Amino acid sequence: MSRHRSAALGDRLRTSYQAELALLDRRSRRVAFAALAAALAAFPFLASAFQLDLANQVLLASIGAVAFMLLTGYAGQVSLGHAGLLAAGAFTTGILYKELDAPIWATLPASALVGAALGLVFGLPSLRLRGLYLAVSTLALHFIVIYAGMEYEARRSYSTGVVIDPPAIGGWTLASPLAWYFVLLGFAAAAVLVALNLLRSRTGRAWRAIRGREAVAEALGIHVPAAKLLAFLVSSVMTAVAGCLFAYYRGFVSSEAFTLYVTIQYAAMIIIGGMGSILGAVLGTIFVTLFPYFIEYLVATLPVPQSWVDSIYAVNYAAFGLVMILFLVLEPQGLVGLWRRAKQYFLLWPFKQRPLRASQ
Amino acid sequence: MQLAVNVLVLAAIYALISCGYVLIYRVSRVLSLAHGELMMLGAYGLYMTASLFSGEPVIAVLVSVALAFTIGLAVYAALMRHMTGEAVLTAVLATIALGIFVRGFVVLVWTAQEQHPARLLGIENTSFPVPGDARISLVGILLLAVTAAVYLGLYVFLRYTAWGIRMRATGQNPLLAAQRGIRLHGVYALAWGLATLTGGLAGMLISIDTALEQTLVLIGLKAFPAALVGGLDSLAGALLGSLIIATAEVLLIYYVNPLLADAVPFLVLTAMLMVRPWGLLGTREELDRV
Amino acid sequence: MNPALLKLDQVEVTYHRVITAVQGVSLAVPRGAIVALLGTNGAGKTTVLRAISGFIGLDDARVTEGAIELAGARIENRPPYRITGLGIVLVPERDKVFPNLTVAENLRANVPRPGTDRRGLEAAIYEFFPALKALRGREAGYLSGGERQMLAIGAGLACGPELLLVDELSLGLSPLLVEELMHRLRAVREHLGITLLLVEQNAQVALAIADHAYILENGRVVLEGGAERLRAHGDIREFYLGQGASGRRNYREVKQYRRSRRWYG
Repeated sequence: MSRHRSAALGDRLRTSYQAELALLDRRSRRVAFAALAAALAAFPFLASAFQLDLANQVLLASIGAVAFMLLTGYAGQVSLGHAGLLAAGAFTTGILYKELDAPIWATLPASALVGAALGLVFGLPSLRLRGLYLAVSTLALHFIVIYAGMEYEARRSYSTGVVIDPPAIGGWTLASPLAWYFVLLGFAAAAVLVALNLLRSRTGRAWRAIRGREAVAEALGIHVPAAKLLAFLVSSVMTAVAGCLFAYYRGFVSSEAFTLYVTIQYAAMIIIGGMGSILGAVLGTIFVTLFPYFIEYLVATLPVPQSWVDSIYAVNYAAFGLVMILFLVLEPQGLVGLWRRAKQYFLLWPFKQRPLRASQ
Repeated sequence: MQLAVNVLVLAAIYALISCGYVLIYRVSRVLSLAHGELMMLGAYGLYMTASLFSGEPVIAVLVSVALAFTIGLAVYAALMRHMTGEAVLTAVLATIALGIFVRGFVVLVWTAQEQHPARLLGIENTSFPVPGDARISLVGILLLAVTAAVYLGLYVFLRYTAWGIRMRATGQNPLLAAQRGIRLHGVYALAWGLATLTGGLAGMLISIDTALEQTLVLIGLKAFPAALVGGLDSLAGALLGSLIIATAEVLLIYYVNPLLADAVPFLVLTAMLMVRPWGLLGTREELDRV
Repeated sequence: MNPALLKLDQVEVTYHRVITAVQGVSLAVPRGAIVALLGTNGAGKTTVLRAISGFIGLDDARVTEGAIELAGARIENRPPYRITGLGIVLVPERDKVFPNLTVAENLRANVPRPGTDRRGLEAAIYEFFPALKALRGREAGYLSGGERQMLAIGAGLACGPELLLVDELSLGLSPLLVEELMHRLRAVREHLGITLLLVEQNAQVALAIADHAYILENGRVVLEGGAERLRAHGDIREFYLGQGASGRRNYREVKQYRRSRRWYG
């Protein structure tokens, strides 16, 4: 093939399987990715301490959000036990640290293992139940996990939670926000990469089939129970790891931090972001994590009654509930839906799509 | 004997709350996870009317009950109406979002302070002796009476009145109901109104008994396993489920560990979901509706 | 000739904005008449019924051309409750009763047209279908197929309609039962003055009681006329009544049929 012709065909001409499977398969994508990587690398040096902390929170939350998206947004297994899994990872870390003085290279895998085991437990009901009833059973399991955490705290009289020292590997301690940024960025990128690759694989296709129509998936020869449990497994391992990181980042673990509200926030992330899209998970995470700060800013600048300023958490609740309702009613496809609409508008402008004669 | 009294009163609370879950589910297949918050809203409604009509408890209660019913209708008209036809999960998430909103709203309007409507109404929660060396409070008696009245009323309504039959029909087959001229939105709104009314009643009674504060929502959440254990589309099941869970809770608190109080309903629920997910008296086919 | 109670004028129904299911359908149902809509599977009969009763939006379909008029008022693409309120009631093909309600409750699970005498109507229904009276307390899910169809018709009547649309009455029922139900329907028309539009695959039975009939094929009306005339029509007899011409059929005859389709009776 002459160079001239292959240039004309551009990157669409693939000459190896490797090229076919590559995520960054086009020049435009490679360029965009390079720009993004550069921006992400430069960000911590240009941002204020407050913004850096925000970014860290977003990165940390995105791991959990991607995990949740895989389970509920792609595989269609409704799980309301997310906070319970986060707590499991965090508590494993805390307990191992307190009882055995374990370092991070032990607690992290341990959390992952506990996550895997718990994931299987949370996933077992999915073999018999679907939809509402599955959600309820995972909810019940959430409460049981939290209760176990509370028991531990009560037994050891850590009424305010378990305090953990920053993790250290070799001689180097992970304490500064800057260091955390890159570590979290690494984990978040890994989570996204794992997710994207899983979704492009047989497993991902199996999950999407199950979410679409389970009976048909089974008829197609997909081993549905195994696929479901795998979804729970992968998702819980990721979530537990996120919980472990969360424990180290916060510096302490308390069962009060893992309320149902946390699960709902993650649910909001994937809904507001847009179900069935990793991009949606990321967008949703950014939105939901930054939202309370935005509300705080609004309350500080707009003229509101003093009582509102005092109970800002209530303003948060009310605003959050309202926004979630608005998204559910008006744009069920979430931010990704908005993004796609905007993209389509610009792609087609000035040629607006002409409706077919038979439509209104 | 005191244990038995405690069980009955707790069961009455759970039953009064869970009939709301059942009503909405049976008619529209939606699990309203905002029920606890709406319960609390109803109680705050009483607080409001109590301040307006202090010293006239009957009027205050009647007005706040009517208010709770109206709130239920409003919730349907403003929010849940848009969820008809969407996936069930979306509707449930909408109720969760509504619950969150109400939680914030309540604090913004009335502050997070504990309130005591009983004082405003001039009601004293005296306790009465019961044979068997036990005592029961005034509110306990009221709860038992109200729950019995509500269930009886609902039974008669659903069984024998025109609108009750229409509601049952809609729950079974909304399309056919529409083909017979039944306006679905009206039926759903009625279900939400009735559910919020009964839930609000429960909230009001609890707030008179102890105090009106945020933990009211927790009780609403604990009643939801009672509805599920009995079968989400069965009122009789809700009664049975409430009795079972109340018994388990009271006994386990007394004999094992008081901290278990909040976990017990969910433990029972988990056990039930493993064995018989559609509940004791629920219809089996509910399971496969996703 | 009685004035038309229901009129369809060049109606076109489109699914999902791209699939035309029914095209150029015109029919008139005179007041007090029994009109049959015949055709094989997939001809578009149910679509027409749905378009009339207003339940078309459920399948993402719309009436995209033409008009449907009830006593002069346009009713296409209106919300279903409005159409039932105007007196058009559909007895559907599937899921026609509430299985967990008793027979008596099924007859009350409706919102009848304003001005309907409920009690009187209920009594009349029990008179037309005495079997229902005997089964009053039984849950509808336990009824046999024939009893269920009876209940479905009765429940439709209980809504106090002016026009009753019956979808595939004969499906799954024994011939004897179908004949009996058809006779009852005729009695209903005599005594209650209700107009009937029957959609049927069983042309024989439908033509036995109908006054007028339309044949639908591939979404178009290919033949219409008085029931007597259609019963005698050669093509109808061959293709719908199974009374074929003697001897083998050859391709030329089939072509002839196709040609005649272009003409309206």
